Amino acid sequence: MNLNKSLISLLIAAAVSPALAHDIVPGAKQTAPVLLTDATIHTATKGVLENADLLMVDGKIAAMGVDLAAPEGAKVVSLQGKHLYPGLIALANQLGLIEIEAVRATDDTSEVTDTNPDIRARIAYNADSEVIPTVRSNGFSYSLVYPKGRALMGQSSLMQLDAWTWQDATVTDAVGLHINWPSTSTVANWWNHKKPEEMAKENAKALQKLKDYFVQAKAYADAEAAGLNKGVDSRWQAMIPVFKGQRPLFVHADDLRQIKQAMELAKQYQLKLVIVGGRDSWRMANELAAANVAVVFTAPYGIPERDDEANNTAFQTPALLQKAGVKFALSLDGYWDTRNVVFGAGQAISYGLTREQALAAVTINAAQIAGVADKIGSLEVGKAATVVVSDGDIFDYLTHKVSAMWIDGREVTLNDRNKQLHHKYSQKPAI
Amino acid sequence: MNSFRLSVLSAAMVLSIAPVAADQTRPLQGIRDKTPNLLAFVNATVHTEPGKKIDNATVLVEDGRITAVSTAAAPAGYRRIDASGHHIYAGFIDAYSGYGVEKAPEAKAFSFGDDPVYQNERKGGNASNAAIHAERQWAHDFVPVADDAKGYTEQGFTVVQSARQDGIFRGQAVVASLGKGLPGELILKAEGAHFMAFDKGSSKQSYPSSLMGSIALIRQTLSDANWYRDAYGKQDTLISQQPVEFNAALAALAKLPQAGLVFETTDDRAVLRVDSLLKEFNLQNAVLLGSGFEYSRVNEIKNTGRSFIMPVAYPEAPAVASIDDQLDVNLAQLRHWERAPANLAAMANAGIPFALTTHALEKKDQFWPNLRKAVSHGLAADKALAALTTVPAAMLGLPEQLGKVAPGYQADLVIAKGDLFKDGEIVATWIRGQEHQFKPLQQPQFAGLYNLNLQGQALKLELTGEGSKLEGKLINGDKNVALKNLSQNDNKLQFTADLTEAAAGSGVLQVSATLDGALLSAQLLLPSGSRQQQMLSKESVPAKASDNKADSDTQLLSKVTYPNRAFGLDAPLTRKNVHIKNATVWTSDKAGKLENTDVIVKDGKFSAIGQNLSTPSGYQVIDATGMHLTAGIIDEHSHIAIEMGVNEGSDAVTSEVQIGDVLDPDDINIYRGLAGGTTTAQLLHGSANPIGGQAQIIQLRWGVTPEGLKFKDAPPSIKFALGENVKQANWGEAFTSRYPQTRIGVETIIRDAFQAAKEYKAAWAAYDNLSRSEKKVTAPPRKDYRLQTLVEILDKQRFVHTHSYVASEILMLIDLADEVGFKVHTFTHILEGYKVADEMKKHGASASTFADWWAYKMEVQDAIPSNTCLMADRGVLVSVNSDSPDLQRRLNQEAAKSVKYCGMSQEEALKMVTINPAIQLNIQDKVGSVTEGKQADFVLWNANPLSVYAQAQQTWIDGVPYYDINRDAQLQQQVLAEKQQLMQKVLGASDAARKGSGGTHKTNEPIWHCEDNGDWLKARFSGGQHLHSHAAL
Repeated sequence: MNLNKSLISLLIAAAVSPALAHDIVPGAKQTAPVLLTDATIHTATKGVLENADLLMVDGKIAAMGVDLAAPEGAKVVSLQGKHLYPGLIALANQLGLIEIEAVRATDDTSEVTDTNPDIRARIAYNADSEVIPTVRSNGFSYSLVYPKGRALMGQSSLMQLDAWTWQDATVTDAVGLHINWPSTSTVANWWNHKKPEEMAKENAKALQKLKDYFVQAKAYADAEAAGLNKGVDSRWQAMIPVFKGQRPLFVHADDLRQIKQAMELAKQYQLKLVIVGGRDSWRMANELAAANVAVVFTAPYGIPERDDEANNTAFQTPALLQKAGVKFALSLDGYWDTRNVVFGAGQAISYGLTREQALAAVTINAAQIAGVADKIGSLEVGKAATVVVSDGDIFDYLTHKVSAMWIDGREVTLNDRNKQLHHKYSQKPAI
Repeated sequence: MNSFRLSVLSAAMVLSIAPVAADQTRPLQGIRDKTPNLLAFVNATVHTEPGKKIDNATVLVEDGRITAVSTAAAPAGYRRIDASGHHIYAGFIDAYSGYGVEKAPEAKAFSFGDDPVYQNERKGGNASNAAIHAERQWAHDFVPVADDAKGYTEQGFTVVQSARQDGIFRGQAVVASLGKGLPGELILKAEGAHFMAFDKGSSKQSYPSSLMGSIALIRQTLSDANWYRDAYGKQDTLISQQPVEFNAALAALAKLPQAGLVFETTDDRAVLRVDSLLKEFNLQNAVLLGSGFEYSRVNEIKNTGRSFIMPVAYPEAPAVASIDDQLDVNLAQLRHWERAPANLAAMANAGIPFALTTHALEKKDQFWPNLRKAVSHGLAADKALAALTTVPAAMLGLPEQLGKVAPGYQADLVIAKGDLFKDGEIVATWIRGQEHQFKPLQQPQFAGLYNLNLQGQALKLELTGEGSKLEGKLINGDKNVALKNLSQNDNKLQFTADLTEAAAGSGVLQVSATLDGALLSAQLLLPSGSRQQQMLSKESVPAKASDNKADSDTQLLSKVTYPNRAFGLDAPLTRKNVHIKNATVWTSDKAGKLENTDVIVKDGKFSAIGQNLSTPSGYQVIDATGMHLTAGIIDEHSHIAIEMGVNEGSDAVTSEVQIGDVLDPDDINIYRGLAGGTTTAQLLHGSANPIGGQAQIIQLRWGVTPEGLKFKDAPPSIKFALGENVKQANWGEAFTSRYPQTRIGVETIIRDAFQAAKEYKAAWAAYDNLSRSEKKVTAPPRKDYRLQTLVEILDKQRFVHTHSYVASEILMLIDLADEVGFKVHTFTHILEGYKVADEMKKHGASASTFADWWAYKMEVQDAIPSNTCLMADRGVLVSVNSDSPDLQRRLNQEAAKSVKYCGMSQEEALKMVTINPAIQLNIQDKVGSVTEGKQADFVLWNANPLSVYAQAQQTWIDGVPYYDINRDAQLQQQVLAEKQQLMQKVLGASDAARKGSGGTHKTNEPIWHCEDNGDWLKARFSGGQHLHSHAAL
C-alpha cells in the first residue's frame, strides 16, 4: 500500500519528536506574522476566494485577499492548490471528558442527581487526552463539551483543542445549560412490554418533575432580583443567566413531542433555546425557524429510530433544516468519533446541502450557537487566526488531507497516538 | 356403569348430600345412589357433526352417553328437556389448556445484571437443564377446579388437554372432562401430548439465554432421548467409563413419537422454525399452537403440512387518538390489528387444518364474540364447528368418543338459543349427562303490545325483547315513557312508569304482573295509593328490529407484503435479464476498473462484460452513463436479522448453537443494508464466550423466508472470541465466577475443549469399529453437538472467525491453533493486527477490521485507522466490516477511510468490502467481483463508490433487483398513505373493535451488538408474560 504524502511528511516530523502523545507540545504563541498564500479560501461567511492569501498577526486574521504583501519578518507558507477553511467546530460532545468509555475511572461525564445546573464541563477536560489530537488531525480546532446526566445536566464549555491545561483550553467557560428532556415516546422496548398508557403516564410524571425544577429556579431568580434570598442555592444561582437570556438553554431532545414541549417551556420563561439531537426537527422545521430555535443535529448518519421511517430520513434532515431557514450545526455527540463529523457534513452535501452550507454547519453556525461568532467560525479580518489546511476537499475521504492548522495563530502539531503507533509498527522487522 | 352414574349425580348435586361421594375403588359409606340418568332433548336443531344438521330432533342420553339421535319422539321413562328454538352441538374441546394443573411459580422477570445460574439441582432422574420437565405426567397432578371449569363450560367447552405451561419440555398433558367428579374419573387420557415451547419459563438456569440456545437445547435433548433409549442399561461404555445415568426426562421423551407433542409458537417465523426442528427428528405427530400471525406467511405455513391449535385473541388497536403519538404507531401493528380477525379465514382458505383454543384470551367470555368476528371475516361456520369438535377430537386421539352428537359418543352437548355462529347464546352445557345450565331454556315471552286502562285513559304498554334484554315503554297517544325498575323473574314482571312524563297523570305508576299464556295479569299501584287488578291481553307482537346491518369492518384495507411491514414488497421479486450500458465498472478482479463498459446479466449471472455490447432480445436496458458499478458489498461481521439474542452468553463454550436457527428475514435492517449496497453478510454469534456459536452467511434478500436468506452452499463457520468480553471484564459484579476470567484461562479452556473433541471423535471411531454383537452390549457414545462442532473444525470443515483485539491474544490463538491442529481462518475486529501482521500471515489467517473505531474500551486503546494498510502491506488479506446495521449501510465509506488515513489505492480499498471478505467467507468463486460467470450481485452508484458523495441507486442479488432508490421513494409514499387509511379505520372503529383480547403485536429486535449479553430468552418471554396474566390458567 502507498502511504500518502501527508502521512510521509508526518512520519518525518514524528521521527524527530518523541513518540508519545503527552509529549505533543501545544503550539507556541504567535510572535511573527504568517502569510498563507495562493489558497482556495473557504471563508464560511463571504464565499470562496480563489488563489487568495490570508495574513495572521498576533493570533488574529489581519488581512485577506489576492496578492497580499508579506509584512516584515513574516513567515510565508504557500498553499498553492490547497484549501483553507476556518478551524472546524464540533458542538455537543464529551471530548476530553472520557478517555476509555468502558473504564469507569476515565469517565467524568455524568454526575448523580437530577439537578446539576451548577457543574461546568471544562473542569474535567483532560487537555492531555490521547483522543483530542486524533480529532484535531481531521480539522477540528474547537469543541463544545457538556456533562451528561439525568435532567439538568450542567453547563457546557467551549474548548480550543491545543492546550496545556483546561484553563488555557477554555474559550468560554459557561456556554449554556444542557438539559435532557424527558422521554415522550409511548413505545415500550423489547424487554419491557409496558402499554402506551403506562408509558405516557411515566412520561408526564417526568415532565412535571422537570417543570417543577424550573418553577423553583425561577422563584429563586425572582427572589434574588428582589434581594429576598436568605442564602445561596448554588444550583438555582447558576440558572439566573439562563433566565436573563444571557446563556442559551440546550435541550437534548429528538422526538417531535419533546421539541414542542421544550419550545413551550422556552416561551414561558423567555429562554434562548437550542435543540441538541433533533432527529424529528425536520418535521417542524418551519416552526423552529419562526421561533429562532437553533438545532445541533447529532445524527448525520442516523439509522431510523422508527420502523416506518425511510432509511435516508436522517441523511436528508440537514438539507430540510437549511431549506426552512433553521440555524443548525452538526455533531456526533460522542468523543472519539467527533473526527467523523466532517464526513457527516460531506454526506449531507450529497443529500442536498451546498458545500458552503455544509461548511457553515461545522463552523460559523456552530460559533453562533456557542455565542462566539464575533471571534471564531469564519475567515474574516479581525477574527481569530484559527485556520485549517486540507490538500483537497475537506469533506470527502478521497481528498481530505489535513496538512496544517493554526489556532489563534499558533501552529498546531498534527501528530497523534494513532499516527505514532503507525510509525512505530511500520518499523517492526519482518519475522 | 353404576358408579359412573353415581359420580354424575354427585357432581350435579354439588356434593350437598353427604353420603354420595364415592369412587370405584373405595367402599361406599352409607346409602347407594341409584338415580337414573336418562335424558331426552327434544325439538332441537341438532348439529350432529360439522355440515350435518337434523331439525326437530330428539337426542337420547343414557348414563352419560348418547344412545340415539333421531326425529322420533322421546320414549317413556326419560327426563324430557324441551329444546325447541335451540341448537345442539357436540361439546367443544380445548386442546391447549392449563386447567386442573397447578401453575408454575411466577418466573422472576428479566433484569440486567441478574446473578447467573450455571447448574440445575439434580433430583431423582430430572434433566440437567431446569427448563426440561419432560418426565412430568400432569395426569398425576390433575385436580378439577369448579370455578375454572365454569369459565370453559360457559363457552361450551367440555374437554381440555392440559399441562403446566412452563419451560421448554413441559411434560405430558392430560385429557380430561370439564365435568364434576373425581379426578380419576374425569381423566379421559392420562398420557396426552407433550407440551413444548422455546420459552424456558420459571427456570432460573442461565442456559439457554437465547432463542438459538433454546433450539440447541431441544436438539440435544431429542438426540439424547434417542441415545438413552439405545444406551440405558448397557454396561459397556466408551466415553464416561460408567453406566448411563438414570434420567426420567429422557426416558419419557424416548416415547415422544408415540405420545405426540404440542409446540407453542409466538409468530409465523416460529412456525417455520419449529417445523424444521421437528423434521430433523422426523417428529410428525406434532401440532403447533398458533399465534394469529399465520396469514402473513400462509403459503409457507401451509407447506409445512402441520396442524394447528389456534387462539382467537386479537391485539389492541395502536393508539392513534393523539396526533403526535401517531409517531409511535407503525404500519405492521396497524395491519395486524386489522387482519388478526381474518387470520382463521386465511388459514381455512389455504387448507391449513386447525382446532380452536381459548388460550391467550384475556377472558374466556371473549371467545364467542371473537370467533363470530372471525366468521364475519370469512371463516365458514362449519369449519369453526369442526375446529371445536371433530378436529381436536382427532388430535387427542379420541375421535370415536368426542366431537359428534351421535350414538356411542360422550353426552357432551352444547345447547344454544339460536345459531351460535351468528348470534346464538349458550344457555347450557351438558357434560356426560351432567347439566350445567346458565340460563333458562325457555324464557317467558312478554314481548307484545298490551292495552292498559288507567282511570279511563286508554294507554298502551309495549314490551320488547326477552330475558335480560326485556324492555318496554308506556304509550299515551304521541307521548311515551320508558319503563323503569324493570325486573323479570320467570313469568313474573315488575316495572314503574312516570305518569307525569307520559302526561297521563302525576306521579309514578307501579306494576307487578304475571304472564299466563298471552295474558298479562297485572296489579297496578297508582300514585294515589289505590290498587287495581287488570288482565292485559296481547294485541300484537312487535316485529323484531333487524340486526343485519352490513359490517363494513370486514372490508380489509391493509396490504399483506413480503415481509409484512413497512417497505415490504407486494410480491416476491424475480430475476431479470438486464443490459447495463456505459458504466464505470469496478471489477474487484484482475481486470481492474473499466470505463464506459457494459455488463450483461443473464439468469442471475454476469454473462458478458465489455464495451459496446449489443442487447440480447428481451433484456431490460439500464443506461448507466455517469454511474459506477461494483460488486455487491460483503460484510464479514454482522448481527442483523437475528432473533432473540446474538449471544448464548451463559456457558463458556456454546459451539452447539446456530445463528442459522434464528434468522429473521423480516428485519428492516436487511432493507437498509441493501440501500447501502450490501448484498452478503456473515451473521456471527456474539463475543460472550471463548467458543461461541455457529455463524450463518446470508444474502440480503428482502421478502424471503428464513431459509431463503441463507447463502446456498457457503462453507460453515463459527465465532470464537478472546479478551475483555469473554473474561466478562465489563459485565458487572455478578459475573466473576465463570471460568475463564483471564486471558490465561481463555487459552486453557479452548485447549481443553479441543482435547475433549478429539477424545469424543476417538470414542465414536472406536464404537463404529465394534462388531454387531459388541454393539449390542455397548452403550453408544452420546452425540454431543457442542463437541461435534469442534470436530468439524479439526476436520477443516468449519472455519474459525475469532473476535480479537490485542497482540498478545492474537499470538496466543495462533500458537494454540498450531499446537491443537486447527486453523484460525479470520481474525475479526483485530484492532492490533498491525502489530503482529507477519505472524498472522505466516499462520495463514486473514483480518477483518473496523475502519476507525477505537478508545471505547481498554483493549482498543491501541487501535489505529491505518491498521488496514499496515496489515495489507505485510501480505495479510484484509476486509473492513460493519458489526452494525448503521455502518452496514455505508461500508463503501468505511473502506474509503483507508484511502484517507493511509493512502490505500481506491481499487484496493473497494476490494476490502467485496472480493476480500468473499475470500474470508469462502464464497469467492460465486461472488465478490464483477467477473463473467459469477453471480450477478452488484450495485449501481451515482458517483465514485468510495466518495462520501456516492449513493447506491440499485442493489441486485443473483440477478434480482432487491433495492431501487426510485422504488424506495414510492414505498415511502405508500407507507404513509396506507397508514393514514388504517389510522382512519381505527378512529372510526368501535371501542370493542379497538380493545384487544390478549393478542399481541410483534416487537422489533433491538440492534444486536457483539457484546450484548443477558438472558434474552427470559427478557422476551417474561416481559410478555403480564400480557397473559388475566388468562385463566
